[in-house]
Order: sequence, then C-alpha cells, then structure tokens
Amino acid sequence: MKFSILFGGKAGQGANILSDILGKSLVKKGYYVFVSRDYQSLIRGGHNFNVLTFSDEPVYSNDSEIDLIIALDKNTLELHKKELKKNGNAIHVEAKGNMYFAGRLFKILCMDFKLLEEELRELKGRFDENIREAKEGYEEEKKIACRIIDRKENLNFMNGNQAVSEGAIKSGIDIYYFYPMTPATNVAGELAEKQIENNHIVLELENEIAVINAAVGSAITGAKTMIGTSGGGFDLMTEALSLAGIAESPLVIYLASRPGPSTGLATYSGQGDLDMARHAGHGEFVRMVLSPGDAEECQEITSQAFYFSQKFGVSVIILSDKHLAECLYTIKEKPVITPSKKVTILKKYNSYESDKFGYMTESPEIVNKNVENRLKKQKEIEREAEKFSQFKIFGKSNSENVIVSWGSPKGAILDAIKDIDAKFIQFLYLDPFPMKAKKEIEGKNIILVENDATGQLGKLIAEKTGIIIEDKNKILRYDGRPFFADELKKEIERRLK
Amino acid sequence: MTSDLNTTATPTWCPGCWNFQILAGIKSGLAEEIKKGKNKDDFAIVSGIGCHAKIFDYINLNGINTLHGRVLPTCLGMKVGNPNLNVIGFSGDGDAYAEGIEHLIHAARFNSDFKYFVHNNQVFALTVAQPTPVTELGYKDKTNPLGVKFQPLNPIKLMLASGCGFVARVFAEKSQIEYIFKEAMKHKGFAFIEVIQPCIIFHNDKGYLEKTYSLEKEEHDKTNFDAAWKKADEFDYSTVKKIPLGIFYQKEKPILEELYPQLAELKKKKMSWKDIKR
Repeated sequence: MKFSILFGGKAGQGANILSDILGKSLVKKGYYVFVSRDYQSLIRGGHNFNVLTFSDEPVYSNDSEIDLIIALDKNTLELHKKELKKNGNAIHVEAKGNMYFAGRLFKILCMDFKLLEEELRELKGRFDENIREAKEGYEEEKKIACRIIDRKENLNFMNGNQAVSEGAIKSGIDIYYFYPMTPATNVAGELAEKQIENNHIVLELENEIAVINAAVGSAITGAKTMIGTSGGGFDLMTEALSLAGIAESPLVIYLASRPGPSTGLATYSGQGDLDMARHAGHGEFVRMVLSPGDAEECQEITSQAFYFSQKFGVSVIILSDKHLAECLYTIKEKPVITPSKKVTILKKYNSYESDKFGYMTESPEIVNKNVENRLKKQKEIEREAEKFSQFKIFGKSNSENVIVSWGSPKGAILDAIKDIDAKFIQFLYLDPFPMKAKKEIEGKNIILVENDATGQLGKLIAEKTGIIIEDKNKILRYDGRPFFADELKKEIERRLK
Repeated sequence: MTSDLNTTATPTWCPGCWNFQILAGIKSGLAEEIKKGKNKDDFAIVSGIGCHAKIFDYINLNGINTLHGRVLPTCLGMKVGNPNLNVIGFSGDGDAYAEGIEHLIHAARFNSDFKYFVHNNQVFALTVAQPTPVTELGYKDKTNPLGVKFQPLNPIKLMLASGCGFVARVFAEKSQIEYIFKEAMKHKGFAFIEVIQPCIIFHNDKGYLEKTYSLEKEEHDKTNFDAAWKKADEFDYSTVKKIPLGIFYQKEKPILEELYPQLAELKKKKMSWKDIKR
C-alpha cells in the first residue's frame, strides 16, 4: 500500500504546515512517510508544493503520479492535475484556510480528529481559529479514500537538516557559525533553538569568510566547531579551507548543495558540488568528503565528521543537497553515533610553513617534512575509515547490474529497485574513496544515477579505479528536481542486462 | 621579564624599521601585565599577512599567523572559543583597510573584548611598494605610474561611525605603544589602535613625527563623540598638517562575551569550551 498527496498553494498559504501535520500524525500511527518540498525563491505568492507519500512499508521517495491533490489555490489544480492518477482526487475550495483542508484530509484518511487537535495545539498560534476551520472541514468531508490504522511502530520523522543538527548535538558540538544560505540555513535554526538547553553557541557573522576564519580561531582553542553553507558560500570559504589544511585545525563543514553555477536555482536541488568539495582550496592538503543519503545517515555521518576532524586535525565536509536537507524522512533504526574527544590545544599555529615551535620557515628540509607529515594523514585516514560503512550495498547482491550513486538519490533508487534485478552501491565516503568498492562494480553493467550534468561520481570512480561508465548508462538529472521512483525505475530498466 | 616573551626567531624586518619599536612596546606592555599576575598562557596573538605579521614570530605567545585580511574574525573566533583569553590582533593597513575591511566594521559592532593594532605604513611593503587604501593622492610606484587618484580612507572616522568603543592612534614609538597597550587592556571591549609606522624603504616618514601632537595633553574630551570626529578630520592621510595622537574616543558598551549567557558562564567559571565535557 502506497498513497501520495500533493499540497500546493501560494507561498504563505500554509501548504507546508499541512504536510508537516499530516506526516507527523501518520508517523505516530506507525506509517512510513516521505515528504519533499518544492518552493520558489520568494516569500509571498508564487507556487509552492509539497508531496507526501506514505506506506506501511519503508518509503524514501515520491512517484511522479499523485493519489490526491490538496489545492489551496486554483493554480495548483491547473499545474498538477496532469499528475493525478486515473482514479485520483483533487480538493479545491476557494477562500478556505489551510486547516479546513487538514480537517477534510483527516476524515478522508479515517483518522481521529483528536490527532489533528494534538498537532494544532503544538502549533500554538491561532489555535481557536485553526480548530474551527479544521472542524468545518472534518464535518463537511464524507468520502473515505484510505483507512489509517494503528500500526504500533516506533518511528521518528525528521528532515536532513534536523538530522545533521541532531548529529552535531549528539557529537558534542560547542560552536556553530553561519551566514544564511539556502538550503543549509535550517541547521543554524535548529541548533540555535537548542543552544541554551544544550549549552552550545550559534553565531551569525558578516559573511562566509568571517564564518570559516572565526571557526578556525575557535577550533584552535579546542572547541568543537562546525559551520554550514551552500555552494556559493563555500566558494568564499576556500582560502581558509586551505588555511585549516596547513594549520591542521579540525573543522566540520556542512555543505548543502543547490544547482549552480552561480546563484543557479536557489531553492532547488543538485549534486554539482562534489568536484568542488574534493578539490577546493589552493595547495595540497588532506580533507574528507562524506555524504549521507538519508536522515539516519545524516546523524551518523555528522558524528563521524566530528570524530575524524578531531582525531586527524582535518576539515571534514558533510556533503548534502537541498533534497536531502529539506525532505522529511521516517527513521526506524536508532542512529549509531561515533563519539569523539576534543584533542586540539592552543599553541602557535601558522598559515606559513612553520617549524616545530610554530615560527615561519622557508627551510627546504622542514618544508619537505611538513608536506610529507600532512599528506601521510591520507593513508592514516584511509585505514581508520575501514572501520566505518564507507559504502553500502542494497538490492540483489549477485546481480550483474550495479547501480552506483551517492547522497539524496538513494531514496528514489531504493524505491525503484524493489523488484528489479539490480544491486545498488551507495557511496558515503567520497574522500577517502573506498577502494574495496572496486570489486563490487568491476566487470558489471554499471548504471550511474546522479543529480548533476557531468556525472561527478562517475568521474571519481574512473579516477580511482580506472573503470569508465558508459555515457548511455548515466542517468543524470540536472533540472533541480529530484528523481521520482517510478520514472527512475523505467530509466534503470532500459539499461538492465 | 620580557625575556620569557623572547623567541629564537631572527627578525627579518629591515634594519631600522619602526616595527622593532612596536614589538618592544608590546612586549614591555605584556611583561607589565604578567608582572601584575597574568599568565603567559592567558594571552594569544593573531597576525595577518605583510611586514607587520612577522611580529607573530618574535613574541613567545600562542595564537595564529593567519590569512591576509582575516585577523579580526580569527580573534573573534578565539574569544568565542575561550572568552577568558586575552587576544591581541595585529594587522597591516592592507590587511585592515583593503582585504578585510568588512570585518573591521563588524568587529566594532560585535564588540568582542580583544585589542587590535593596525601597523599603518600606508603602503603594501612586503609586495614591494603598491599603494593601499590609505596611501596619499599622487603616490607613484611601478604598478601605479599615473599616481594614486583616490582620496585615502580615514580609518579613525570609519571606526567612529561604526560605533567602536575605543578609537586611538599612536606613532610607532616604544613609549607610545606601551601607553596605548596599557589603556587598551584597561578598556573592556574591542579596541582599535592605529599605529603610524612609516615604511623606511617605500614610504618614508614625510615629516609625520614633527606634525604629531598629544590629544591627552591638549585635554581632548575622549567621551565626546563630536569632538572625536573633529579631531579625526585633522589628518586626511594625504596632506600632513597636524596628526593628533592618543585616544580619540572611548565609551564602554556591552561586550559579546557577556551578551550570550553561554559565554558569560564560561567567563564566570574561568573555563573554555575545551573544558566542557559532554
């Protein structure tokens, strides 16, 4: 059983809150829920929509077809009716508040009104008005499309940004600096809300350059420090990334991508920053690039980022994207948090090559030693990384068809390959690259799935293993939109052997 | 006492550079603080890139010789990381007024409790003589053979306008550095100190010292913003008539480290984040 609902309207009409409320209630009932957000770079007006899919089995993505449309404005109906399934329904009533639709929805899904009331109470504001609207909708609705029962499953519901924040708190974060940039900003919001309760601090500084330099300043005093941004902000940070490289100061950087170049698509999703994350910064220095693929992994990878950054005195980039950052995922397992110690001490640090006291040096002997000492960390990190899930294998383990991907497409791939003959390798460690993955893909029919135009994971695989993925086997989407499981399934099937 | 602050690094400033005087003044100021009971490890220094930054190697204190223009956010980060550290930042005029000028305005606004010395020699000396934003009109070098066309920035006015609670200028003489170091350490909050430090190779003293006078001796009211603004106007960095030295303006206001309860708590308990076990 799988059911999908599209909530659409103008920015400010509250479609987002609607899908949140329903999602939370369904998760409480023990259903697996996935919600994606599509919104424009504007505050009021325009057209925003969320798609919620729920199921009694794990679900990590949406299909391109919809069972029910909740249209808060007429435009939503016009734009999305073509996505409705043949027996699908659409609800649109002019001049009704969003909670009217919540009322109708809860009735349609045969859910107790009390559940909705609970959620409205949590919203705090406008309670009386909301409850009146919701009641009106609940009483008006007569049809039932799907019966929600009590599944007695203990599930959690959060988006990638919330999960990264959770991971940071569980890893003992002390300081988070940021400059607002979609889609990373909500990590700052989540952490800021909890800063007093958890005793850490969140500071917004004048720009990304200040953010990363302040972070280096804090990190060398021994504080566990993290920063967050998207591609454009990360560009500004790269000189100091190189500084952190030579000073060997630990840093956790959350890089939530959106499509570039430049301002690109400010509120949409893309994976075009892998090359940048791997190569940013002048000179040669070691960094790590880790990539979670769902909310559970966001927590785990964040804790690993703190662990590696502290243990090896390196920058660790957590590479996410808008889809992962803002989609709501249902978590069943308890994430495995890797604890980390604060080992950095304040001494003399230098942006120049320096001697053992921290004084600037131009001595070729010392420079050679420094360079070699810094770079040998790569091997040490590779060895340490063996202890972690650097890549994961899903699907039919003995299949000749191997799908390779990383990050947020994981969800749609998992949903797409349920009953086809394919194995799926998800890369969580991109730098260091897990060489053990080579034997999993060598000689197979490799299919690459990525949200970028040049197949950057494909290039990485070629660089590290010499394995070239044929162009016809690359499924690339670069319009800022995520993969839909049903469409992706068809694309994969065309390439199966 | 200053011997503890000495390092084994050999100074590579040009012989006779005014930076030696700044170094001596800072070390003597630090020694005085240590004599009064502070520990060497209670201090940290940060420098940028340029001739000034070599000072990092000549003072035996922890800290970081950071990127060009990024001294201020680095100092801020160190204060947030450990509010009990006494952080002293050093920049050149290129650092402070060109590459990193955005940070200067915000440092005044954030008012984190650290001290900031700008070694202003009115030239990019280490890259061999290019003009900075405070080089006088008409100045020529190989890269600007037509001469500087733009009126220099007035950093004192910029800092006053940005709400800085301690705005001072001194000449690069040991005794003046000692004096202002002491005053800045007494001040709670961000302290901006410009040090006029003529570059003896590329931008020599054009009779600056003779044109200077002491604001203190003239009984300038440093609590009076309008008076400070007028005094700031006396030297435009281009034509040298009068150069007022001393504290233009001083007014204490809440510091960043006390405005956030998390940091205030660390300060109270004499702890840094490193000491927080979770």
